[in-house]
Amino acid sequence: MSTIASTSASGTPALQARSVRKSFVSGRLQSTVLHDLTLDVHTGELTLISGPSGCGKSTLLAILSGLQPADGGDVRALGHELSGMSTRALESFRLQHTGFVFQGFNLFPALTALEQVELPLSYMGLAKEVVRKRAVESLEEVGLGPRMRLLPAELSGGEKQRVAIARALAKEPELLFADEPTSALDAANGQIVIDILHRIARAHGTTVLCVSHDPRLVHHADRVLAMEDGRILSDHVPPAAAFPLQGESQPPTRSGY
Amino acid sequence: MVALARKTLVYEWRRFLPAILAVGFASLLQLLQAALVLGIFGSASVYITGSSADLWAGYPGTQSVNLGRPISEDVAMRLRMDPDVVKVEPFRWVDADWRGSRDTGGVSVFVSGIDVRPDGMMFSRALPPALRARLNEPGAVIVDKADLDSLGVDIGDVAAINGQRVRVVGVSSGLRALGGVNIVASLETARVLDLSRDDAGMMTYFVAKVRHGAKPKVVANRLNGSNAFGPYTVWTAKAFARESSLYWMFDTGAGAGVLFLAGIVFLVGSVITSQTLIAAVIGSIREYATLNALGVGRGSLRKVVMEQAFWVGALGLLCSIVIGLILLVIARNRSVPMDLNPLTTIVCLALSMALAIVSGLAAVRTLRRADPASLLR
Repeated sequence: MSTIASTSASGTPALQARSVRKSFVSGRLQSTVLHDLTLDVHTGELTLISGPSGCGKSTLLAILSGLQPADGGDVRALGHELSGMSTRALESFRLQHTGFVFQGFNLFPALTALEQVELPLSYMGLAKEVVRKRAVESLEEVGLGPRMRLLPAELSGGEKQRVAIARALAKEPELLFADEPTSALDAANGQIVIDILHRIARAHGTTVLCVSHDPRLVHHADRVLAMEDGRILSDHVPPAAAFPLQGESQPPTRSGY
Repeated sequence: MVALARKTLVYEWRRFLPAILAVGFASLLQLLQAALVLGIFGSASVYITGSSADLWAGYPGTQSVNLGRPISEDVAMRLRMDPDVVKVEPFRWVDADWRGSRDTGGVSVFVSGIDVRPDGMMFSRALPPALRARLNEPGAVIVDKADLDSLGVDIGDVAAINGQRVRVVGVSSGLRALGGVNIVASLETARVLDLSRDDAGMMTYFVAKVRHGAKPKVVANRLNGSNAFGPYTVWTAKAFARESSLYWMFDTGAGAGVLFLAGIVFLVGSVITSQTLIAAVIGSIREYATLNALGVGRGSLRKVVMEQAFWVGALGLLCSIVIGLILLVIARNRSVPMDLNPLTTIVCLALSMALAIVSGLAAVRTLRRADPASLLR
């Protein structure tokens, strides 16, 4: 394996993968998506996995987040061994510790922005006032305070993705997984979303694992993993992260956020 | 808790409308069918339900009130001997042939010969006292208003029953019969109209009233104890009415038809409802998958779908109750025999709710497709 899993100063890794293997069978063909992959993701960092489509980055995200079991190897998240957990235990782990942002916004058309955010919170056993307070706070954090009573049909694409982020953020997760969060958005909205993800890692100490091929994200990441054919090719700290700027270092577009 | 199920139902009402209508129509069909069956076959026992007697004594083994045979006068004596029986009254049933003043051909009629005294028990509920008193006139008969056409007469007209002259002295409602036309006459008139001479003077039934506070069922059981006064059986009015209706329902094959139709309605309704609910689940499958990714358990997602099914059922039932009530009122105004009791209504509504719940269970299975890992591809 290549030079991966470099230990950083932040202590115990939030996510650990040891010799993770995954293959899919389609018809008679068995294709291996992940080849004995070993990786540590550090607490409080924004880690970006990039690579061409089909390189296995989404599968890696699914396995690290407990959405999909690996065929072999060990996965530890926040010190919990995910490999042997039952479906119910995994659901409960995800409910307590993880947030997700997907490429599609996946918002219920019938619910207002506020209700979208409150919905998963209401399953966490929190008091009604706490649910409301957290939902309002995270919508304000993503800049949607004034628009929280609107339905998805009344929001722009960028605003919908911010609702989806607020929905993940309001759970106050230790782990936030994002899959191509900017690819359905235009430049300006993409930039806003990048800034928010960056801020979440900085301000909340959340471990953000983001899968994307969006080059704009690279400069905001604390660490960039390049993947190809189910292996990690390179693991480096991007130059921009060495001197973090408040969203000013993007060459092609500038955020109006 | 965010009311996801209800809000989605309101927001996407067009999507759920077919399911609501399917449950509504299924429920309405069951209700109307039950009302019609109860109404039509209930008229088989109109002699019993239209009267105030508690007990009916008739020929042993009689399966329906219209199948009575003559019984001995001694049975009336036996009834009177019981300490709990306060009143006994004869009832004569005559199968006869009617010829109206207009050309109607022969009409098969059932003549009920009753005690016309104002406190008589027979048809006390169907005949107001003034009308009842008119039967004292020899040859006087009363028919149901709705039967005037088929009998070819109007009030005051003269007709012939079994070749004997009778006159229609009035009309009532709630006297319609099954398989023929009911004619009410006095005991004396009925005796004249009865052609079978061998049992002339013999009554078909004796009806009785029990002392206030006594249980008719207990008295009936006691009276059935011996056959010393000739062969007879005593039924409570309720049991005999039920037996008569059931006899007609199964004798005509209508009971099986009703059950068959109910099954079809249930099947078609649940196919439409489950397909609609499944389509609704598939329409939101990515959102459900996202919730599951965020840790909302499958059980909770199932609950959302079942709640939707419940509301679809509730709205469908509401539609059917409103429309059903309107139709029942219309039917009543037009003398269509329709009758619904609370128990049957509850059973019909429960069946329709079961339809919605079964459809919900079918839709719940679709949730398996809500795989959060599929959102990553």
